[in-house]
Amino acid sequence: MHFFVSKGSTFPYERPVPLKTILWIMRCSTLVLAILLCGCSILVAAKTNGQDIRETRISLGLSGKSLETALKEIEQHTNFRFGYRLSEISRFSHIQLPEATRTVATTLDLLLSGTGLTYQQKDHYVFIVPVPASPKIQPQEQLTVTGTVTSAKGEKLPGVSIRLKGAANGTNTDPEGRFSIVVPDEQSILIFSFIGYITKEVPVAGNTSINIQLEESATALSEVIVVGYGTQLKVNSIVAVSVVKGKDFAQKPVVNMTNSLVGRMPGLIADQGSGEPGLDGSRIRIRGTSTIGNANPLLVVDGIYRDFSRLDPATIESVTILKDAAAVAPYGLAGANGVILVTTKKGKTGAPTLSYNGYAGFQNPTRMPRMVNSYEYALLTNEANRNDNFNPSFTDAQIAGYKKTVDGAADADPDKYPNSRGLRDVLQRNALLTNHNLQLSGGTEKVKYFAALGYTSQDGQFSTTSLKKYNALANLDVAATTTTHVGISISGWVEDQHYSGYSDPGSGDANNRYASAGGGIMYQAFRTPPTSAIYYSNGLWGSYITNSLVGTIAHSGYARNENTQIMTTFSIEQQLPFIKGLSIKGVASYDPYNTYTKVWKTPILTYSADFTTTPYTYTPAYLGPSKPSLSLSTSQNKAFTYQGYLNYHNTFGKHDITFLGVLESRSQKYWDLSGSRINYPIDIDELDRGGTAQGDLSNGGASSEERQIGYVYRLSYNYDGKYLAEVSGRYDGHYYFAPGHRYGFFPAFSLGWNMARESFIKDNAAWIDLLKVRASYGESGNLAGGPFQYLTGYSVYNNAAVLNGALTAGISEVLQANTAITWERAKKTNVGMEASLWKGKLLIGADYFYEKRSNMLVPPSVTVPAEYGVGLTEQNAAIMSNHGLEISLGTNHTFSNGLHLEVNGNFTYAQNKLLQVFETDATYNNPNRRQTGRPYGTQFGLKALGYFTPADFNADGSLKAGVASLPDAPVHPGDLRYADLSGPSGKPDGIIDDNDQTVIGRPNGTPQMIFGFSPNLSWKGFDLNFLLQAATQITLPVGGSLVFPFDQQGSASELYYKDHWTPANTTALYPRASTQPKDYNTRYSSWWLRDASYLKLRSAELGYSLSAKLIRRIGIQQLRVYVAGQNLWTWTPHMKEKIDPEARSSNGQYYFQQQTTSLGLNVTF
Amino acid sequence: MITIKQSCLIVLLGVALTACKKNYLEVSPRDRVGDDVVWATTANADLFLNDIYNQMPDMNNETEHLDQYTDNSDVGVTWMQGYANIRIANVTPSNLPRGPWDMWYWGKDGNGDSRTGNYEKIRKCNLFIEKVTASKLPDDYKKERIAEVRFLRALFYHWLWMAYGGIPVITKTLDNITQGDSIYIPRSTEVETFQFITNELAETAPLLPLQQSDPGRPTRGAALTLKGWCELFEASPLRNSGNAANPVGDVERWKKASATNKAVMDLGVYDLYPDFRALFLKSANNSLESIFARQYMPGKGGQLEGKEGPTIVNGTELAWGNFQPTQELVDDFSMANGKAISEPGSGYDPQHPYLNRENRFYQTILFNGSEWQGDTIKTVVGLGRSTENEIDLGYSSDVTHTGYYACKRLDESILGSDNRANSTSYQNYMFFRYAEVLLSFAEAENEVNGPTPDVLAAVNKVRTRSNNLPTVQATYGAVNQDKMREIIHRERRVELAFEDKRWWDVLRWKIADKMADGTPGVLNRPEAGMVITSDNGTLVYTRTNVSNRLFLPKMYMMPVPQYVLDRNYKIRQQSGGKDGWINGQNPGY
Repeated sequence: MHFFVSKGSTFPYERPVPLKTILWIMRCSTLVLAILLCGCSILVAAKTNGQDIRETRISLGLSGKSLETALKEIEQHTNFRFGYRLSEISRFSHIQLPEATRTVATTLDLLLSGTGLTYQQKDHYVFIVPVPASPKIQPQEQLTVTGTVTSAKGEKLPGVSIRLKGAANGTNTDPEGRFSIVVPDEQSILIFSFIGYITKEVPVAGNTSINIQLEESATALSEVIVVGYGTQLKVNSIVAVSVVKGKDFAQKPVVNMTNSLVGRMPGLIADQGSGEPGLDGSRIRIRGTSTIGNANPLLVVDGIYRDFSRLDPATIESVTILKDAAAVAPYGLAGANGVILVTTKKGKTGAPTLSYNGYAGFQNPTRMPRMVNSYEYALLTNEANRNDNFNPSFTDAQIAGYKKTVDGAADADPDKYPNSRGLRDVLQRNALLTNHNLQLSGGTEKVKYFAALGYTSQDGQFSTTSLKKYNALANLDVAATTTTHVGISISGWVEDQHYSGYSDPGSGDANNRYASAGGGIMYQAFRTPPTSAIYYSNGLWGSYITNSLVGTIAHSGYARNENTQIMTTFSIEQQLPFIKGLSIKGVASYDPYNTYTKVWKTPILTYSADFTTTPYTYTPAYLGPSKPSLSLSTSQNKAFTYQGYLNYHNTFGKHDITFLGVLESRSQKYWDLSGSRINYPIDIDELDRGGTAQGDLSNGGASSEERQIGYVYRLSYNYDGKYLAEVSGRYDGHYYFAPGHRYGFFPAFSLGWNMARESFIKDNAAWIDLLKVRASYGESGNLAGGPFQYLTGYSVYNNAAVLNGALTAGISEVLQANTAITWERAKKTNVGMEASLWKGKLLIGADYFYEKRSNMLVPPSVTVPAEYGVGLTEQNAAIMSNHGLEISLGTNHTFSNGLHLEVNGNFTYAQNKLLQVFETDATYNNPNRRQTGRPYGTQFGLKALGYFTPADFNADGSLKAGVASLPDAPVHPGDLRYADLSGPSGKPDGIIDDNDQTVIGRPNGTPQMIFGFSPNLSWKGFDLNFLLQAATQITLPVGGSLVFPFDQQGSASELYYKDHWTPANTTALYPRASTQPKDYNTRYSSWWLRDASYLKLRSAELGYSLSAKLIRRIGIQQLRVYVAGQNLWTWTPHMKEKIDPEARSSNGQYYFQQQTTSLGLNVTF
Repeated sequence: MITIKQSCLIVLLGVALTACKKNYLEVSPRDRVGDDVVWATTANADLFLNDIYNQMPDMNNETEHLDQYTDNSDVGVTWMQGYANIRIANVTPSNLPRGPWDMWYWGKDGNGDSRTGNYEKIRKCNLFIEKVTASKLPDDYKKERIAEVRFLRALFYHWLWMAYGGIPVITKTLDNITQGDSIYIPRSTEVETFQFITNELAETAPLLPLQQSDPGRPTRGAALTLKGWCELFEASPLRNSGNAANPVGDVERWKKASATNKAVMDLGVYDLYPDFRALFLKSANNSLESIFARQYMPGKGGQLEGKEGPTIVNGTELAWGNFQPTQELVDDFSMANGKAISEPGSGYDPQHPYLNRENRFYQTILFNGSEWQGDTIKTVVGLGRSTENEIDLGYSSDVTHTGYYACKRLDESILGSDNRANSTSYQNYMFFRYAEVLLSFAEAENEVNGPTPDVLAAVNKVRTRSNNLPTVQATYGAVNQDKMREIIHRERRVELAFEDKRWWDVLRWKIADKMADGTPGVLNRPEAGMVITSDNGTLVYTRTNVSNRLFLPKMYMMPVPQYVLDRNYKIRQQSGGKDGWINGQNPGY
């Protein structure tokens, strides 16, 4: 398949260009190195007297600018001044020049090619003049070939060099991409070349009209990827990494960047458990879960250990995940769970570019369960009472009253007989999400800069929930001398989170998937039955069980978090003159992080209704504390990182050697302070105004310190780009452990073979650009547990017993120490291949991985009797394996009508297995219950067979002999029946108990398989992309009021009401009604597990760019409008309960995931 | 240029220096101290002891009290242990109640349970005793504090012993590294355990002060009271005779119980507090009647009113209403004339059931028409569910579904919602008070010698506090041993209602599953509430069964938790022997 054969060209012939591209890149880098290594004096000299346009270099890239602009650009960055006649150059208004560093002469050659103009230098003046007319040679049998050269995207390419093979003469395309060349005969071959594009040879073969498409050479082959403590040429890299570009997700309406990654990279598994502003981050796993301990990957931003979740997506250049041992080895004891490297944008040489991007979006829950109405609730309550032999709770008159309200009858009394709708009565629809981002970038040879400001405002589904985020970033790169490079990066963000006073943001930890400030509100929302008024008809609101839903949301004070992160990095790199290819670099980073939390809790206002008066009277009442309280807390964490680098790169013939050595020390200092007061006599939310009595005041504070030091090395070697080898590792030390156990060594090795560079492929299958196989093996570590577990001792706490009329402090024994405690060790094996076919038309990647994680920490409590009396510190005793497969496929094509299509797909499968873990005999000796040998988190429980039927019972209501049951459970037809699988002796014993547990579900939380599919289309001014993402092999338990009516005095779901067991509906989804969930029905059983496989339209974006001609008049270079969305559609075929399959809560009482649609605008000035 | 190079080198040098700094990774923890600090001074060692005191059940912060396991109170909501396990006899080795505030929780289950079990508490006691004994602290300190700790250890043991019978008696800290297999300790027999507890108390009582200068620490009286209670428990039918034919059993056991309780009375330091209602409020903290109590104060308060108080007050649902007296408890309060409502001449009118009852009734129970916090409690059917305490006949809300709330131990000046938010219950929780000692003495002595003047005097002292009731003699004239037993049992139920005593009483009297006459036991029959309807303004009172109960004989003892059996092979494997169940699982499970 040759997609890119242009019309009229019958025998296209392409040279295998990759080699050339690589050589070109290598040449360039060698040149750069050479220049850098010659020392500063030469270059400085060149600068002072070198007014030669063939020596002065400039980095320039232009797209759609006029020739005049281009010349002015050159003037700005050099000492040269141009002379020209405006009339001669003004018609070249749309020139294309790929970004590159070239001599001024080369730049001018490119700019003027095909224009009929040339240049002449005199001192520092350069004159643009028409090409002198040359004497025309009219050969015999000449043939004139004309045509157009376009890019793959259909853009006309001016300045393309067209050369006759074997001859010196040639021409260039004009601004419209047209060319005309005279060739000697029909057998002539034309060579089309253009910087940044793959050179193409085309036989004329008698055609007088040839239209050519050139492919951009910036394919995977020339790509540079970010790896640990450095970068590598992707083609020569033999580590397992995946990359996603920031532009792929920057404009989606997503606040927390962790939610942008799922489905975009093979090897990354993530799930977003909540939609709550500020707490909605995804849990990310690289290649699944490989440990029972902390399985979070290491996060690195611009080379420093940092969280990236709050960064402004618009400022992200790329996100890289490091997966195999060879890739993570430089991170030593922190790398075993994989590493996510985020790189922010840097300035590029060129005129200042100012751009704005903004969007406004609307958020709504993805899936939301429906609860019963009050009439149904009353009927269901009475049905449950009947089943439990209680008197009916609702009289017929009351039921009739509710029915009238539900039906909207004219004589309904909705205050006395309400029909409230729980969450739906208070939920804010179309909650607003806005984002504005302003960026400035540009630079000269010496100074490059990138700066950005971002602002995000996110409203919540409750009126008092909102978030504001401010981002700023400034990256400055300065070539201080020709051999010295200085980088300064200052960035930061401020996040203001607002919640209702009823929520407790102190418990909200962004990294903890179960923390939720809105959980309490959701509990109340699901609890309040429809028979309890949330709002009365006059707009006042009621309460239920010591709490008021409206009151908790809107009349309970406030809780605010203000988190400020500053990130600063200063780096300086020096080429060393005495050894070629050697440089040193020092990096110092200081990242302070401050939190400030203020919680003002007021009495919760509600209204008491009195229905004995006419009209009804409503009096204000207060719930919660009778006087306000305030708590303040602030903390600071200061992270210091120092890195010293030694870099060496050189080539000796076909041998290419790169060495990296890094010494890194990190430390963190943390403190916090808190104070709280209760019983505020007046409503002034200041600490000093609070109650002063004993017990009204409390204060606290603590501090801690962390330290780590590591020595990193990496030695890469390749022979002719064919045979590749790398050794890397880290000798790492950490303060967590006992002296003598603090240092560890984590080495890795990898080998690769790029077959495409072998002659048997080059000669026989030239359509293979890249075919690389690679394998790696190594060890890495994972820090688990907490600090000082090697020490015994006692911890001190306040507020122990009251004795002698006074508060006391207490001391208690901490866990029994484990002096040998250490990090987890991972042995990782990876085998992978990468291929690029047909000039990058098809990209294939596949990896198989196997990991064995040992030293995992497990509490050894089962090894001592329950009477032992003190907990034992965990031991490094558990072992687990994890293996899986990743596949990625990518293709792109431009159709003749200009439609450009790019499709990427990826698939990840990861399954772990516990190989060794502490187990009691009761589970280990029972093959159904044994955890060893099964995936970690496998869900064990009873196997539900269905419902008891009347046939299971004797006439007196007792169970028939042989029908197994939970001991003494007073079951009836319609209650769940479980399988009697085993007993204490290993055989079924007629009793359902723990011995009957078996595997009922896959691990909850992380799916074992994840798919991503992202097509990308552009046509004329339109662009469209979307991401379909699927996950499977995950089991979600359901519970609480979502499936058990009246749970915790809560309401019931509509689904339950419609489909529960009654004598008339014996195949129902849910068991018979009871006044409270019955233990024998709510046992953890297969009945309450759901296959949470899903397919989501995770994101989509449709944009339109206005015609450049139209907008340039008003001084705008680019103007694009777009609509985008996140979580637009969810298909989860096995979950009848309407909650999101990624729910972090089994009972639905959590802040729902949000579906967002947005309208946006990009402007570049 | 040179300066840039220099600064570059300085940065590198800085990195190198930090890295090479000796002991760079040496960070000292700021959240812990070592043995050298803790056992160095009496003040520091006291901090360790403060933690042990803090391990006593924090009953004023508990939602579910032990009376909710019994026929004294319905359980507020059915997901709580009382309902989920006890009331429907859903008690198995892997599903057993741990008692209010983990009162008889064995030990951590090893699955990351954050709660503290009795064996964790016992280890703290053992560690204190070992460390203080080995320390150079003053002998006076050692003597006094070790006695306190031995008392506390006995207190923790006694809950385990009542719940499980024989248990492993551990008096040394266990160490899996140095002690090898001897960390696996089998269950002692029930009698051995009893003897251990009472011996400890007998030994520590003389070492403890008669009166405490530090309220909250045990006294001699506390040690003797606990000992007397254990002896009463051991003498009672459950552990003594166990059959109807011989309700007295081994009379020597009763004698011991009688003597020890008498010894408390003879200490001469205790008396009844005159005001029964105020006895439980903070003004009476550490009164003459209080023998041993957990202390509360601002900064460390409880949430009694918010968790137990009446649900809807002044039209707003302020509290959880977890004290829900049953009709059976209400019925056991005497008429003001001293007679039980069922007795001839009591004057009880079923359609005016709350008239002319003894004072303690009004000081304990909130019923339809009771005043509370300026509101009148209304439980009548048909008022409008969500704004009044209209009886909830199912379990669909927190509102009472017996028709009653309790006010005993609750401070009327404290609003429920504020109480839960700010923990403002400052009244102490009395584990033991003098009235119980009097009744325990009377009960034991009546079994030994019948209704002697001492027995009558003790019972009358309780009955007649502040003219609550006439004396037994004034009410009944002369009574025999059986009638006296009945009076004492009823007196005990009423006097000690909502003080977490009834559960142990019905167990030890062995009346939970069936009565001596074979009729269903008190925890094995439906419980009643009072449905009040309005018939044209006239209230009509109808007793209605509101809750079903099931109590199986095995539940007289809790099952040994499965994780305990799984982790201690000496408990799991050894069975048989004289007691059969001593080292295995309790019978019936």
